[in-house]
Amino acid sequence: MTNIGTVDGTAGRIMIRLENLRKEYPKEPKPAVDDLTLEIPEGEIVILVGPSGCGKTTTMKMINRIIEPTSGRIIVDDKDVTHEDPDQLRRRIGYVIQQIGLFPHQTIAENIATVPKLLGWDAKRIDARIDELLETVSMSPATYRNRYPKQLSGGQRQRVGVARALSGDPAVMLMDEPFGAIDPITRDRLQNEFLRLQAEVRKTIVFVTHDIDEAIKMGDRIAILQEGSRIAQYDTPEQILTAPASDFVADFIGAGASLKRLNLSRVRDIGLTQWPTVQLGTEPSEVIETLRRSDKGAALVLDEANHPRRWVSALDLQRADGRPLDQIGLPPEAVVEPQATLNDALNELITANYSVAIVVDADGTYQGIVDIDHINEAIRGMRTVARAKARAGLAEDRDDDLLTKGTTP
Amino acid sequence: MSLWEFFQGRYDDLLQAGFDHIWLVGLSVFLCTVIGVGLGVATYRTNRPREIVLAITSAFLTVPSFALFVLLIPPLGIGAPPVILALTMYGLLPVVRNTITGLREVDPSIVESAQGMGLSRTQRLTRIELPLAWPVIVTGVRVSALILVGIATIGAIVDGPGYGEFIFNGLARVGSPVAVNLVLAGMIGVIVVAIIFDVLFAVIAKLTTSRGIR
Repeated sequence: MTNIGTVDGTAGRIMIRLENLRKEYPKEPKPAVDDLTLEIPEGEIVILVGPSGCGKTTTMKMINRIIEPTSGRIIVDDKDVTHEDPDQLRRRIGYVIQQIGLFPHQTIAENIATVPKLLGWDAKRIDARIDELLETVSMSPATYRNRYPKQLSGGQRQRVGVARALSGDPAVMLMDEPFGAIDPITRDRLQNEFLRLQAEVRKTIVFVTHDIDEAIKMGDRIAILQEGSRIAQYDTPEQILTAPASDFVADFIGAGASLKRLNLSRVRDIGLTQWPTVQLGTEPSEVIETLRRSDKGAALVLDEANHPRRWVSALDLQRADGRPLDQIGLPPEAVVEPQATLNDALNELITANYSVAIVVDADGTYQGIVDIDHINEAIRGMRTVARAKARAGLAEDRDDDLLTKGTTP
Repeated sequence: MSLWEFFQGRYDDLLQAGFDHIWLVGLSVFLCTVIGVGLGVATYRTNRPREIVLAITSAFLTVPSFALFVLLIPPLGIGAPPVILALTMYGLLPVVRNTITGLREVDPSIVESAQGMGLSRTQRLTRIELPLAWPVIVTGVRVSALILVGIATIGAIVDGPGYGEFIFNGLARVGSPVAVNLVLAGMIGVIVVAIIFDVLFAVIAKLTTSRGIR
């Protein structure tokens, strides 16, 4: 049986290639990693996800040879590193583990300086790098440089862990459940921060998690692994959600695949609808006229800068008693920015007045609205595209089969 | 003669014995530390050798000190050498045991992250594991020093230097008025030396332990 995860031509250059990688432990009948071949494209976050004991961590730790493979080859950046000096190899690969493992007896600056010192950078360059990295992870160098790890919160330690892993400017990063030990609210924020950071630095990242939701959110590509690190499916999150390759994958994704898909697209990716709006200071009669022309029950009041101010319905106007528009009706809740995920938008609009989420740009200027029909349509669209892709893939396979059969007597 | 008069009369002898006691114990503790930390570092990661080292150093402590001092006369003669060797043997266990405990208690995830960043085996030991185990090791050395300050007095039976001389002289004259003064002076001297070592190691521990793990 083959155990191969390759990528098609649309992906970038292959940064990491594992070839027939195998790890056996003495006294254990089955290999922990069973002849795995896996291609990891440059600049992508590839997630290894699977139930505990499936070999995902072992697989990741063989890339920087914390665990030595029994057989097979590891190729990083077109170089066979299977027998290279492991310390030299590791200095070129960022490494973040769940417990972070900051050195408690060293200051934050000393922690971050570890790899640059090993690489022999001069003191001035190291100093500048420490400040730059602390800024990158939104921690003020002046405040945090000379603190010790015990003086930081869990979230701050995690940030320093990422900064430390980036310190030698490695092309490749390995992350083993990096957000695993953090409370859910902080985790969400750190995940978003990390994605923003990755959009700038474009590292090739191998990321291990057991949490399929995290995999879908963080991954450009996901390898779902079964026992022995056997690839059940290696594909983009969209494809995995839409066309699970086996019952194992479907079970692992669990119920609510459609809901999970909401995390994949963002408000800016779907068209916005317009809603009747009126400027602050408009005569009540004009507002009523605007409402009558639309099929909506309320108008959105905007101020001079086009920032949403109030929801005003016809009933509110009748009861206004001459009060201005910004003192009647309801405040505009459920305001989202274009980079919010559809999941965020849906979450907001479910509880909102008039069941819509108001979309504003970074300055707070009104852009349009998103409603449930919209989100529904977007999901249907995604599913159609992904199904078509899955079918095209199947058709190709069948053609190959026919060709093979044609040549055999 | 009161104890106070005795102190005044034998001032020079007492001070000299104090210095002797301190260098005797100091040198032995230094040897214990070098050998003990070495043995701990060499064996903390392997089960069998670790058990053997701990068993042997424990066995040293069970040998009666009188017997050991006398047994060391044929090879080493009398005076300081047999005392230093015996003290070094007695002081090993706390140092070895604390070195092993300290190194084994270092959080494995810290060592793994060091390994993952490309620190070699030696760099991990000297830059990460030993500094983190250091407070525990220093405590072992401190305990060892206090034990040796006491045992060193018995070294006087092989003519070893220090306050033991006063105590044995006192024992030899039991019944005479000076006997009690001799024993008391030796005892007080030993206590003062013990306090000096204790304070010294407290200061060393404070100065050499990173603020991050205090």
